[in-house]
Amino acid sequence: MIELRDVTKVFPGGTQAVDGVSLDIGEGEFCVLLGPSGCGKTTTLRLINRLVPLTSGKITVGGHDVSTMRVTTLRRRIGYAIQEIGLFPHMTVAQNIATVPRLLGWRRRKRRERVRELLDLLGLTPVDEYLHRYPAELSGGQRQRVGVARALGANPAILLMDEPFGAIDPITRERLQDEFLRIQREIHKTVVFVTHDIHEAIKLGDTIALMKEGRLIQHATPSQLLAQPADDFVRGFVGTDRTLKALRLTNVREIMDAEPTVIGEEETLAAARQAMDAVGRTALPVVDAGGAFLGWIERATASEGGSDPVASRVTPYAVLGSPGMPLNEAVALMLESATGNLPVVDDERRLVGVVTFDRLFDQLRQSSAERVAPKELP
Amino acid sequence: MRRRFVLLLLLGGLCALTGWMTSLGRVGFFMMAPPAKLLEALKEHLQIVLSAELLAVVAGIPLGLALSRRSFRRGAPILSAVTSVGQTVPTLALVGVFSILMGLGWRSAVVALGVYTLLPIVRNTYAGLVSVDPRVKDAARGMGMSAWQILWRVEIPLAAPLIMAGIRTSTVLNVGSAAVAGMIGAGGLGEIIMTGVSLRLVEMVLQGAAPTAALAILLDHLLEGVAATATPRGLRLALRRGDS
Repeated sequence: MIELRDVTKVFPGGTQAVDGVSLDIGEGEFCVLLGPSGCGKTTTLRLINRLVPLTSGKITVGGHDVSTMRVTTLRRRIGYAIQEIGLFPHMTVAQNIATVPRLLGWRRRKRRERVRELLDLLGLTPVDEYLHRYPAELSGGQRQRVGVARALGANPAILLMDEPFGAIDPITRERLQDEFLRIQREIHKTVVFVTHDIHEAIKLGDTIALMKEGRLIQHATPSQLLAQPADDFVRGFVGTDRTLKALRLTNVREIMDAEPTVIGEEETLAAARQAMDAVGRTALPVVDAGGAFLGWIERATASEGGSDPVASRVTPYAVLGSPGMPLNEAVALMLESATGNLPVVDDERRLVGVVTFDRLFDQLRQSSAERVAPKELP
Repeated sequence: MRRRFVLLLLLGGLCALTGWMTSLGRVGFFMMAPPAKLLEALKEHLQIVLSAELLAVVAGIPLGLALSRRSFRRGAPILSAVTSVGQTVPTLALVGVFSILMGLGWRSAVVALGVYTLLPIVRNTYAGLVSVDPRVKDAARGMGMSAWQILWRVEIPLAAPLIMAGIRTSTVLNVGSAAVAGMIGAGGLGEIIMTGVSLRLVEMVLQGAAPTAALAILLDHLLEGVAATATPRGLRLALRRGDS
């Protein structure tokens, strides 16, 4: 969808901002340009919609050489989002979002429908409450949503985003990232996203293009980047805790024991002891007749009283996991709870699996094995 | 509210003073300007001010606009030099020069005043346009607005409060300076003041000066209202919140 060939940018002062970058971004790919400040990632982004003129090389978008297109036509076809400050303060939310449709000469009714659709998509509901507000009347997170909605205004196939979540508090940022991922799954845009935050890159990107001093060092999937850093710079940039970062890329469902040994609350303690011995565990999850998770029965508390029901000795659970939870969060929860077991429940509190440290170590061993046999780029 | 009260009091005082001076009719040998003559002078004064202001706006805004463009930015230091020096030139000298160049009368007074009061407009237009957040302009450019569209839809609305402030300053300046125009036979309240000065008649000087001051206050107040409506609502909200 987007192809950069030996792209070079030298600024009038002589600074070489981008140096011979070649990069292919496929249709529907979410590509994160990552690197320390001054590495040329923002310049690279701005070369695509010609906010910065190219010195040499070639950029094509959807097969068309960008330098041969009318610059306004090119830009109206590509969504552009920057930090929230980029909203027009003198225009309402609706006017801001309808900017590009208006430039393209859409009819009023069509514009209005599009604005409503986008507000709804970005969770700015009830829509009527937001239409006529001004940016000054919104919170930082809401403004950023409007910024993204504006970039999506004329439904472009490509989105360029320059640190769009940079100026937002960490909690809101996390939420916006999650929501943007959900939206991206719906709209499948080709996204080029600039950030200096490795966590953001790993979380959002289908691929990460890591840059340094104007050069592209490595373009790979997040797991590949973490498992197989191309050189010491990449290794240093992703950090020594890259194995832990890689945990974020897997979720609980993929590694949990989906058929754990459980014990019903009405069974006897003797039966519980027996079951523990049979599987070699010191604790078992207790469920009720409907499969809902109640807590744990532990060997220490179940050592005597053979005919009492399990229900009388249940240790309440301290933490709960969900199938969609990334592994890094799961590990944090497991460290928090003393048992080292994480019960995984569905929305109805039914036990659907258990994560244990053994399973986790298997996962880590696997990801180091990937260093020998890397995954292909999507 | 209190400000408005003080303003009204001042305005009332000045009008009363004008009325009183006019009602004297005759002081010693000399006749004060009769009411009809005073009204005529006021009308002429207003005409001079508005014509000069129109000239200043029509010339000043495009000039400030041109200076704010990237390719003309180099002219900006010259602008600030001209602005600061320009306003130290006495109005009297400027009006004098123009009366020599263009002859006595209304036209040269209007041109002289227009040039003199151009400066606050140029300066404020320039300042207003330059102060527009570059990120907002970048977003506009990135979305595919042409340079003209950015100017009309983004830059001018955002610079409007400062441009209006420039027009206001320049108008008030104009009302006072227009009194000098009386010297070159352009008419207006300045004529009454000048006559009073040459006759050494304080009453007549006051008869011309009081309505001049009243006119300045009135126009300032009116333009304040216009400036408030010219400021886009969203911008007003942002300014109130103290955002950039």
